[in-house]
Amino acid sequence: MAMPGRSLLDLDDFTASEIAYILERARAFHDDPPPRDLLRDVCVVNLFFEASTRTYTSFAIAETRVGADVVALPPGSSSLGKGETIADTAITLAAMGVRVIVTRHPESGFPYRLAESFDGHVINAGDGRHAHPTQALLDLLTLQTEFGKIAGLRVALVGDILHSRVARSNILGLRALGAEVTLVGPYTLLPDAMAREGVRVERDLDAILPHVDAVMLLRIQKERIASAVLPSLDDYARNYRLDAQRLNLLARDAIVMHPGPYNRGVELTEDVFAFPGWRYAQQVSHGVFVRMAVLDFLVNGARAAVGARG
Amino acid sequence: MGERRVLRLERPNGLVHVNDLLIRGGRVVDPAQHLDAIRDVLVRDGVIVAIGEHLEATGADVDIYDATGAAVAPGFIDMHVHLREPGQTHKETIATGSAAAVAGGFTAVACMPNTEPALDSPALIAEVLRLAAAAGLARVYPIAALTRGRAGNELSPYWRLHDAGAVAFSDDGFAVKNARVLRQAALYARDVPGVFISHCEDGDLKGDAVMNEGARSFDLGLAGSPGLAEEVHIARDVLIGGDTKKPFHIAHLSTAMSTELIRFGRAHDIAITCEVTPHHLLYGDDHFAGFRADAKVNPPLRLERDIAALRAAVRDGTIDVFATDHAPHTREEKTQLLADAPVGFTGLETAVGAYAHAMPELSLERFVALLSTNPARILNVPGGTLRVGSVADITIFAERPWRVDSNAFHSLGKNTPFDGETFARRPIATIVGGRFAMRDGRVGTASAGVA
Repeated sequence: MAMPGRSLLDLDDFTASEIAYILERARAFHDDPPPRDLLRDVCVVNLFFEASTRTYTSFAIAETRVGADVVALPPGSSSLGKGETIADTAITLAAMGVRVIVTRHPESGFPYRLAESFDGHVINAGDGRHAHPTQALLDLLTLQTEFGKIAGLRVALVGDILHSRVARSNILGLRALGAEVTLVGPYTLLPDAMAREGVRVERDLDAILPHVDAVMLLRIQKERIASAVLPSLDDYARNYRLDAQRLNLLARDAIVMHPGPYNRGVELTEDVFAFPGWRYAQQVSHGVFVRMAVLDFLVNGARAAVGARG
Repeated sequence: MGERRVLRLERPNGLVHVNDLLIRGGRVVDPAQHLDAIRDVLVRDGVIVAIGEHLEATGADVDIYDATGAAVAPGFIDMHVHLREPGQTHKETIATGSAAAVAGGFTAVACMPNTEPALDSPALIAEVLRLAAAAGLARVYPIAALTRGRAGNELSPYWRLHDAGAVAFSDDGFAVKNARVLRQAALYARDVPGVFISHCEDGDLKGDAVMNEGARSFDLGLAGSPGLAEEVHIARDVLIGGDTKKPFHIAHLSTAMSTELIRFGRAHDIAITCEVTPHHLLYGDDHFAGFRADAKVNPPLRLERDIAALRAAVRDGTIDVFATDHAPHTREEKTQLLADAPVGFTGLETAVGAYAHAMPELSLERFVALLSTNPARILNVPGGTLRVGSVADITIFAERPWRVDSNAFHSLGKNTPFDGETFARRPIATIVGGRFAMRDGRVGTASAGVA
């Protein structure tokens, strides 16, 4: 049954069983491509206010593969900058028959504001520092594929947690599915107050590495130096760059992930690319399938008997 | 503003004492005289002429107001409001702000100089006073800019501004960033009547914050301003006040540590006073869901422990004043993206209810001291007491539950965090210079008595 108006703004919009269902559907789409008519006659608009290669392309491919009619609005083309309000944009697009808006915006919360006024489904493709739920889903699918489960996995997120929408959504998803989360980074990128039940905050990466199943590296932005958050990339690298020495600390079957784009020499060295557990390509590949599964789930509802929230 | 007609229905022309007014049977609460008892109050020609039991007015021309069951207090003064005129009259005007004031039980307001242009010249101060007199409702006391253009670099002409009618000096909205400039200003202006009102906030620590920095801002991925941004500036201004011997008043305290810094200053005999808004006594940073700018205010809504500390500081006298920081904005402005939307809430028409709601256990004597006695003393303006011979600025309020409806506000700003709340206490009459500016909810003109 379709659920009109249901959106994916962050992973806490879905129950644990719904997340599991989407991962299962994504896995099925990966193994056996679905007919290209799941979203026939459904108009999807990609409304990106921020440059994006990976996520944008991944959504565009996913939308095509489920047979949606896709319209892309290039960044800067929206009337929002010309005095039109968020509600005006939502109403205008709905009036044209748009059923799904996939949006990325530099301000945290933008998709929430859009969803308040939009009679349809909103998918958050990244808002400010807040959330990036489909990235978290593809990360979860990568873990699930690797380990066959997520409950009980020990996952370390390393780097600029404070400014990372990838980290936030992953924390929600990992906790919902029962993983143990450790956040690692310097104080200026990882305030103590980010610790939660089931989410530890640590400073010493070397002490953590031997005890994790997966490491998620996050991108370090060079602007953090000018804004007095980091002294230098080299000083950051001293404690947190994943290099040959640190790779040796990892368990033999541990994996390393990165949402991309990565900075060679900053959060990782090229040694990581030769590491057997480097899963970047799988993550990117999984992105298409989880986005297909999300589109199908929001527009068409759950296919099998799954405890979908009404 | 359909109600802005003259209410002189009960007062025929041609009588000798046109202003005779007898307020009967109310509980008179006047902290300045340590009075809290059932008394009658007699007003003649805009002045309080008698307080006593069973007063009888002579002559047939007396307007009798039955205040049985209500409290009769010296007129409330909101020493921190933004009336937006000149320059931003789409948000508020001195006329609409005055109407909001008397509707909310305030006989007087002190308006902040962050207008366009800033109130930094005697001519602009005079213009505000002229517009206020034309509105003829509440007394409006202009606060002049502390530095020219509120730019933080050059000193305002304090003596000339005082001569023109400015009652205090502030760059509210910003702190004076340069400590030397503030110190020079405080030294130069030491003998100028008029307290320095400090908006304490370190702009660098605040950055592009839209809320309090803490676990919730981290969860929402929003830039937060730490309590530290306020506290370092309060510490600085308390010390500059001590160094220069200029009285400072700290606007809108929002954190527990801020109250400690005020106590520190007092312990060192530094002349320092401070205020708190209703919203900082009621709501924490988790009160509002979602990403709307409804909760965007400066200083930001803080944590439960800060709320508890602010209430304690009201109870123990550390906090002197209830002031709303009435900050009207249009709905269009407040529904912009969070980063673009302006800060602030309206406050004048909800203050009496909201403060009582926040601190129902507070004695009426303390309640009135914070809304009248203390702001009158700090600003050195008339009112603040019902002593015989005082100006007849009187607020009458009662415990009568009501529901906040922003659409009914006289203020142009409907941006209240209290919409739909039910409050127990409300003002029922506002008397300015012996005339009703608001009577039983209806706003009328107080006219010529206002200066």
